[in-house]
Amino acid sequence: MKKPCLIRAFSKTLTLTLARFSPSHRRFSSSPAASISIKRVTKSNFESALEDLRRHVRAADFVSIDLEMTGVTSAPWRESLEFDRSDVRYLKVKDSAEKFAVVQFGVCPFRWDGSKESFVAHPHNFYIFPRKELPVDGPSYEFLCQTTSIDFLAKYQFDFNACIHEGISYLSRAQEAEALHTLGSAYGDELINSQYQSEDLREIPIVSTFDVLFTERMKNTFCEWRDGLSRNSNEGYQFEDNSNGPMPRLLTIFFKMRPALKLNGFTSHQLRLIQLVVKRHFKELVYVRVDGESLSKLVVYTDSDEDKALLMKEVKEDLSKETEGKVKAAVGFRHVIDLLASEKKIVVGHNCFLDIAHIYSKFFGPLPPSIEEFAASIHKNFPFVVDTKNLLKDDIVQHLMKNNSTSLSSAFALLCPQIAYTSKSSGVLSRPCMKVGVQVDETRSSNWNSGAKHEAGYDAFMTGCVFAQMCSHLGIDFNLHAPSMQLAQHEKLQKHMNILYLGWNSGTFIDLTTGAEILETGFRNQKRRYPKVVFQNIVLIWGFSSNFKPRELKECICKVFGSDSVTSIYYLDKTAAFIQFCKSEFVSDFLVLKESLERRNDPISVLHPLAKLLEGGTTHAAIYDTYKQICSFSMSKVLFADQAEAVGIKLKTTEMDSREELESDKLDVGRENRLENPNSDSVVKCTPGSKGNAGKDENIRFFCEDILDSLYVNQSLIRKRTRTM
Amino acid sequence: MQRQSRRYLSSFSFSSGAGAVKQVTKANFSPAVGELKDRITNSDFIAVSSQKTGVSSAPWTRILPIDTSGTAYLKAKAAAERFELLQFAVCPFKIQGSKIIASPYNFHLFPRDELNIGMPSYSFSCQTSCLTSMAREGFDFNVCIYDGISYLSRVQESASKGLVGNPIPGICQVTSASSPSVADTIFMERIKSRVRHWRDACHNSNKTTDDALVKSLRKLILGGEIYGSRPCMNIDVCNDSQVQLVVQMLSKFSDDLVPLIISDMGGGPKSVRIVLTSSEEDKILLKNELQNLEEEQCKQVRGFRSVIDFISSSQKPLVAYNCLSDFTFIHSKFLAPLPPNMTEFMCSLRTVFSNVLDLNHLLKEIGPLKRANTSHGTNGKDHAHNVLRITDLFAKLSSILKIAPANGTEVGQYARTVQDYANIFYPCSSNSLQDPVDENASGEMETLRKVRTESLIFLWGFRSGISAGVLKSSLHGVHDVFSEDFDVRLVDKSCAIVVFWRPGLAEALLEDMASGAANGSASLREMISEGLKVAGYGTYMRVCRLGLWEEKLADSLDKALSELSSDLLMNNAMDTSEIYGGSDLMINLDDL
Repeated sequence: MKKPCLIRAFSKTLTLTLARFSPSHRRFSSSPAASISIKRVTKSNFESALEDLRRHVRAADFVSIDLEMTGVTSAPWRESLEFDRSDVRYLKVKDSAEKFAVVQFGVCPFRWDGSKESFVAHPHNFYIFPRKELPVDGPSYEFLCQTTSIDFLAKYQFDFNACIHEGISYLSRAQEAEALHTLGSAYGDELINSQYQSEDLREIPIVSTFDVLFTERMKNTFCEWRDGLSRNSNEGYQFEDNSNGPMPRLLTIFFKMRPALKLNGFTSHQLRLIQLVVKRHFKELVYVRVDGESLSKLVVYTDSDEDKALLMKEVKEDLSKETEGKVKAAVGFRHVIDLLASEKKIVVGHNCFLDIAHIYSKFFGPLPPSIEEFAASIHKNFPFVVDTKNLLKDDIVQHLMKNNSTSLSSAFALLCPQIAYTSKSSGVLSRPCMKVGVQVDETRSSNWNSGAKHEAGYDAFMTGCVFAQMCSHLGIDFNLHAPSMQLAQHEKLQKHMNILYLGWNSGTFIDLTTGAEILETGFRNQKRRYPKVVFQNIVLIWGFSSNFKPRELKECICKVFGSDSVTSIYYLDKTAAFIQFCKSEFVSDFLVLKESLERRNDPISVLHPLAKLLEGGTTHAAIYDTYKQICSFSMSKVLFADQAEAVGIKLKTTEMDSREELESDKLDVGRENRLENPNSDSVVKCTPGSKGNAGKDENIRFFCEDILDSLYVNQSLIRKRTRTM
Repeated sequence: MQRQSRRYLSSFSFSSGAGAVKQVTKANFSPAVGELKDRITNSDFIAVSSQKTGVSSAPWTRILPIDTSGTAYLKAKAAAERFELLQFAVCPFKIQGSKIIASPYNFHLFPRDELNIGMPSYSFSCQTSCLTSMAREGFDFNVCIYDGISYLSRVQESASKGLVGNPIPGICQVTSASSPSVADTIFMERIKSRVRHWRDACHNSNKTTDDALVKSLRKLILGGEIYGSRPCMNIDVCNDSQVQLVVQMLSKFSDDLVPLIISDMGGGPKSVRIVLTSSEEDKILLKNELQNLEEEQCKQVRGFRSVIDFISSSQKPLVAYNCLSDFTFIHSKFLAPLPPNMTEFMCSLRTVFSNVLDLNHLLKEIGPLKRANTSHGTNGKDHAHNVLRITDLFAKLSSILKIAPANGTEVGQYARTVQDYANIFYPCSSNSLQDPVDENASGEMETLRKVRTESLIFLWGFRSGISAGVLKSSLHGVHDVFSEDFDVRLVDKSCAIVVFWRPGLAEALLEDMASGAANGSASLREMISEGLKVAGYGTYMRVCRLGLWEEKLADSLDKALSELSSDLLMNNAMDTSEIYGGSDLMINLDDL
């Protein structure tokens, strides 16, 4: 019935959209708005779409994916920084994947058609929403939205109603297992309880006269019904219901070949009383709960004890079968992920580390604590992952890319101009271009809409096109190498396989096969404008006055430790900063000095150059590891100082440890230091000297307007740095 | 509606047209606010109700019957800080005889960062089940997110002043007579000569007619720019005293120069922009322009909050259903960050809204009517109609309680005023709003019993998925205290609460557990070795105070216990409110 037809991707006019920066906006640039047909999948057409997708994925050479989330960072200080150690970077990605929800999932299988010498793509756009579909814990009780990201999605016409009303739900593997267990045991418990109920039910005290009357009446009713059954077993006895409504409260039906009374419109309290009556007074009656299309309660008549046991067994089997069915349906979108994992196809994403982390946390289970475990588990499930962002760094394409942005849409416009724009006039066509056809399915045309940028389905399509084009630039001949297992093994692809782009601004990559970080070769020499980050040399300070500018901070530290003691200063937000010293001894010296200044309250410490930093008494300082600890808490306050204070109570114990560590650091690193300053008091003794220097500085300042001016330049540089990063 | 009514509730009808709730978005905000202001002025009361993105971040963090007003406030505070408002309905109304004259407005809100300053909220939470049920009621999320009105709280507005980067006219302050320092003098002289050059150049260029190239060259060299239609130049400054120096210098230098202070994103001054005006009239014109610009900006910054401000200034009594929840949201989104405890919150709120009437409290006042909170949903109607139901219910209650507006004309001798009922919040919230006379099948036993917080203990570490009944029977007799009358209810699936009806038993158990005396009983010892833990109400209060809102109450209690030892050492002077004097709770165990 379905008649697939091949539609050449065509495009309309080139529209230049100047994208505003936004956290969720990982790929921004001007881009063409090409219109291709993308299948829109929601709850209502999920089943059928899944079946089609299975076929397409099986036949595919590779599958590209893309995700849209409700946000990226839960607080400004959790944004990706150059000062991220690999463990901290993973903690940030973990935090993001755990807090935000995925609202759209683009999947696009690509198949090489040798006869037409082109790729056939099937872009799908799945709307997903973590709705609770079962009476147990759903995929997520709550999720976070980053206001700018939501606003960004709205700017690209994201349909929130479709997502929340009709989004497909899901259960992770861990949640599925738990749901099967709890639902199974819940029903089990109920059945067991109904056998040993007498004790449990005793707790309902039948004290009110109303309850007594109700119990009596039900007892009589059941008695009459049972007697009627045995008396008129051959005559089709019609049981008289004494309530004359449109919906009788007691209705005789047949349940598993046995006569039964269906109970309607009773309150839960009344049902408990009925249960009690049945249990106490009728050996041959059984109270069962049936989970059919609607939940119903029955009182079933059984011939004998054996029959009763048989009935219970049947009911139990029914329940567990039903439970399994329900849980399977609730697995929802995860069937797509399982499909990708089981087919072992190449999975292509653009800048997809965060996407992969989301896939793990939403569909596998809670993210592991370390990046190594994470990588190992991902590698087991998806043995072939390609990041086109990494692929674009290859020397072969670098000359094509020139200095263009490696954002998805600009790479797409540059590498696949024939898809991006149909106008053949552009000069770039001198290069051989990969042809990609988009296959649509005419019969369900209502589910199609034309793709738009930042829609997961369209982004996945663009990613796949870029990948196909890149492969051809790398010299891969698809006529020789499809199907996919061979493509995955292709030697020219090997050095890019499972290498994901990590650092937004540090040029680092992760190898999924080992979990190890790789630094981009030549990155430091070429692009690095800032000094190398040495984590032992870093002090984290927070809680100082928000008017304290980076320039003042630097001045204040330099007065104490010397003019070239500070390598760099980086403001996390207006309440916290990293200070990188030129050597690690200064870190411990700084912490010791700060503590001794705080402890003493004499004129010397008040006049000390650091006093300005410590003003207000809320300034804290710690080594770099503390930043990691603070990042590891799930709570996210907007300002770093607030976060540190909120988790502070928990840190009190750990601070002791880090201090001990620090002492041992000093033993190792600063041996000479120790000789000179056998105890911290001597450090304090240094302060009058440095204070004198400070005074001299003041005098100089009066006369050196020019120096001051050059400092302004510094300040603006630092500010620029704090903003651009 | 009125069947089975046990009370003499009079029936009210709405004046025509009240059924239609006016929907307000960005597009029709200004005219709607103008209209609403008139309606508020002519009303006696204002009903408010809001639609939030969530109620609680875990099942146990809802406000439960076991909460005191203190813990209830902390829970409401946590929710207000976490979740966001998507709709806010305002309904000014007046009761005339048996008629209610009401005009409901439903404002769609979204905390869009209109000014690009990271406010009103960087991020917010959504409770999945909440959004799902909103969707079921036909809520249009696109309208909210695309066209919702933004806002800033009062505190945020004052913080944003510097962030917006709006030019502020520089005002010459009367400075102290102290002679300027050498550096200041040099700075002023340098600036003065720059300004003089520039000003002369501007005047010259006005006379001569240069060609475009010369003009642009001159502009390049002199660093002059155009502000609106007037020439201007920027002078970089690095602190407030330099700003003052520039402003001072200009006031002495010439009359046709207007200094504007430009701030950077950090709030500090970045530069002084000097605008050259052509005449005295032109100068006044410029100042007016600047003022209009500022007012426009203020309007945009405040957004929906202007409605809240107007309600506050109108001094009309407010009526709401879940006051604690609604007003913690109002306080945190439109006024200021929430204070740490209930008392301070009520004080702070009172300065803005002098009279708030909690329907839940009024319902309690009229006595043993059936509790209004039932497990049923909101009758499938959307949130906007809630405010009308509040209005209707209030009308009925006020006729029983004889509440008349303070300035009302019909104040009889026995009439009580709004003040008698105002500002008392009933902590136990319920999600549904139901008419008290609309009882379902009667005959349920009222299980409301009074209990002291000391008689409650929290119990966790048992097998998950166990029912309260099974748990109770397994506890039966394992310790002396469990041989007496007690009840067990699950707070969430990880933790249960045990209520001892005889005083002293809970304390006895906790003491025995702490001293190890409980190990005497073999079965209890076994349960403890399997991980069973017990804590008193104080630990629960700690959990709320420290904000340990874990997904499972058991985890939160564990955390509170593990920090207890270290915390006690750190804060010897712990606030005395922590040592609670035990408060009475009215508990309906069936609500748990």
